[in-house]
Amino acid sequence: DGYVQYERVGADVTMKCGSMDWDAAVIWTVNGTDINESRLNGSYLVLKNVDLAQSGQYACYEGSSWHLKYQTSLRVGTPPREPVLMCRSNNYPKGFYCSWHLPTPTFIPNIFNISVIHGTKEMVCEKDAVPKNRCHITYLQVFSTVKYKVTLTVTNALGKNFTTLTFDEFAIVKPDPPESVVAKPVPNNPRRLEVSWQNPSSWPDPESFPLKFFLRYRPLILDQWQHVELSDGTSHTITDAYAGKEYIIQVAAKDNDIGTWSDWSVAVHATPWTEEPKHLTTEAQITETTSASTSSFMAPPTTKICDKGAVVGSGAVAVCWTAGLAMATYSVLFI
Amino acid sequence: SPAGDSWGIFTFLCAALCNLPALPALNCSEELGAGQSIQQTYDLTRYLEHQLRTLAGTYLNYLGPPFNEPDFNPPRLARAERVPSATVDLDLWKGLTDNARLAANYRAYSRLLCYLRVLDGQVGMAELRHRLAHFCASLQGLVLSIGGVMSSLGYPLPASPAGPPAGPPDAPPAPNDFLKKMDDFWLLKELQTWLWRSAKDFNRLKKKVPPAVVTLRLEARGF
Repeated sequence: DGYVQYERVGADVTMKCGSMDWDAAVIWTVNGTDINESRLNGSYLVLKNVDLAQSGQYACYEGSSWHLKYQTSLRVGTPPREPVLMCRSNNYPKGFYCSWHLPTPTFIPNIFNISVIHGTKEMVCEKDAVPKNRCHITYLQVFSTVKYKVTLTVTNALGKNFTTLTFDEFAIVKPDPPESVVAKPVPNNPRRLEVSWQNPSSWPDPESFPLKFFLRYRPLILDQWQHVELSDGTSHTITDAYAGKEYIIQVAAKDNDIGTWSDWSVAVHATPWTEEPKHLTTEAQITETTSASTSSFMAPPTTKICDKGAVVGSGAVAVCWTAGLAMATYSVLFI
Repeated sequence: SPAGDSWGIFTFLCAALCNLPALPALNCSEELGAGQSIQQTYDLTRYLEHQLRTLAGTYLNYLGPPFNEPDFNPPRLARAERVPSATVDLDLWKGLTDNARLAANYRAYSRLLCYLRVLDGQVGMAELRHRLAHFCASLQGLVLSIGGVMSSLGYPLPASPAGPPAGPPDAPPAPNDFLKKMDDFWLLKELQTWLWRSAKDFNRLKKKVPPAVVTLRLEARGF
């Protein structure tokens, strides 16, 4: 017991009942359930073209005495495909991390081994506890002309595979997205939005290694983004927002000189400041408000229940009128 | 404006110092801050870095395979150590004084310029020679710019590399064609790395010397 047998998906598996002769009378079980005699070739269990569902605990018992003669845990799986490896420096100039995964599961345990070679030196990539499948390297020297060569090998009981990445120190620099992005309306400014953010906390030295930023924004109702690139500072005021429209805003970061842009930050929503709407009771006041509005889009009128003081727009008036007529007709029926 | 008050103080000091009989005659001239020239030097390194990308691509193609292969990752031979390396221990780099930082850049580019000029002299292709010459001129501009920053901050310029401009100081010729090409490969690699490093060096310097500083430059006459 405790014996594990690994087999490839699609393989033909023949299990012998321990030391029993071929012509001995035996009973095979899988996970405690008897296996049909048709699967047997004498006392051998034959499984053709195995699939994942056939993984399980197999046992063989002598026919008459029910003595356990053999058992094994069958695990059906596949040899590993070429792993996917990614290395990135989000904490330049401290070092970089590499993370990996298999493109398709193998369904059996895999062991990953990573090696980092810098010129003639082998460096140790320290495995991270969380997340798994990740390790990090601390630079001993910076501004290196020699490339880093990272090789990831994955091994399991059915096979082995590997992949290699070779890169310059500068090529893998990619910061994390900016943090704490906040967008606020500006009082008394219907076309402005004030956006501020912070350097990603993983970037260790923004003084010597300043970041530049890319801001994108659009009203929710449009698909086209507007872009602003900012070479310093962690805030920006949008001055061309459509009045009264809700905006979606995102920021990305990049080292000023090297590497690539970060992913977009978490999106924030904000609507520019609008004047407090006056309480409306007459049609005359309605026309006044609509002509004073500077936006090119009209907010859809809110259809309220026919309330004496809350009529907005001519549509609601018609509803009121129709409702009144209907009620009048209805009441007539009851006279 | 606040600058006006400083200007007043400087003029007073200038006048006072110039009138002291005990001191040698001083020539006072106001110079727009070292901060401005640091920014210009920074911009120049970025410009050169972009230029080098195209130039290196063309030159490596001229050298042919394996030098123009993107994965080409040869071991560094001992002879490549002659080219000044930008590689440095991180803490050491952070701890460099302004003077040391500038001097390292000045020395590196002076030597790289020397080597690059030799390269230019040996290239067979006219168009490539023309591009190299243009790049050398820009690189010379960078060296002068760094020198300018050092002077405006009052630092002495490092001694120029010895030997005629046509030849680098201590260069045994490559024993064969392949090794010669290796030399060229590493030269370009080091130049590229230095330009990336300089951007960071000058960023650090920018923070320390704000652009609004007005510096007083004193020249001793007859000394």
